Amino acid sequence: MAGHSESGSSEKKSSNGLDELLTLNAENLQSNMKIIYYSRTFLSIIGGVVAGILGFTGLKGFVFYFLLMAVTSIGLVAKAKFSIHTYFDSWNRVLLDGFLSGLMSFVLFWTFAYDIVHIF
Amino acid sequence: MGFVFTVGIFGILILFHAAYSTIQYRGLLKITEEEFSGPPFDVLIELFLGLVICIWAALTLPAKFLSIHPHSEDNRVVSLSANVDFMIFNHRGKVFPVATDLKLRQ
Repeated sequence: MAGHSESGSSEKKSSNGLDELLTLNAENLQSNMKIIYYSRTFLSIIGGVVAGILGFTGLKGFVFYFLLMAVTSIGLVAKAKFSIHTYFDSWNRVLLDGFLSGLMSFVLFWTFAYDIVHIF
Repeated sequence: MGFVFTVGIFGILILFHAAYSTIQYRGLLKITEEEFSGPPFDVLIELFLGLVICIWAALTLPAKFLSIHPHSEDNRVVSLSANVDFMIFNHRGKVFPVATDLKLRQ
């Protein structure tokens, strides 16, 4: 028992020095990421509907999605008041996370809206 | 919060109306036997408006970002919980070493 608690406390001491360097509130980071996923998913669905109504086909639609995500990234950076490192640990969190999963929803709703408006 | 949600729903409704207008426009083209080269101008404006409204709603609707720095204003403990009187420190747990550097959560 005593040995166990001893090793625990020594481990804590050794990690203490590291904690001083890169400590962050994981709970808040998680909630920030959730906000980003929410925005990106919603906007890729909306973007899919718009691209379908406009009648985009092929590469044009993917370029549209790329532009939309760029606008979303700018919006998210503006929401973070242009100080990314206060709210996230790296730029990739804002710029890339949720990009591919959003692309799936985008393609789904793009084909859906295109079929309804232009084919049927 | 409810206001932004309503605005988002309104943006989606605008998009649905634009889709409906495009369907009607295509029906018209079928009658006059012309080629479809893109939705009419007012539908384009409608789509743009709906998209902008939805972008605004999607960015505003979720809660505010919270700071991840442990020493920032957001993460300060500003009030104690109401049941401080019921805290007991004289129990068997005091045998174990105390983690004094553990931060209080809000």
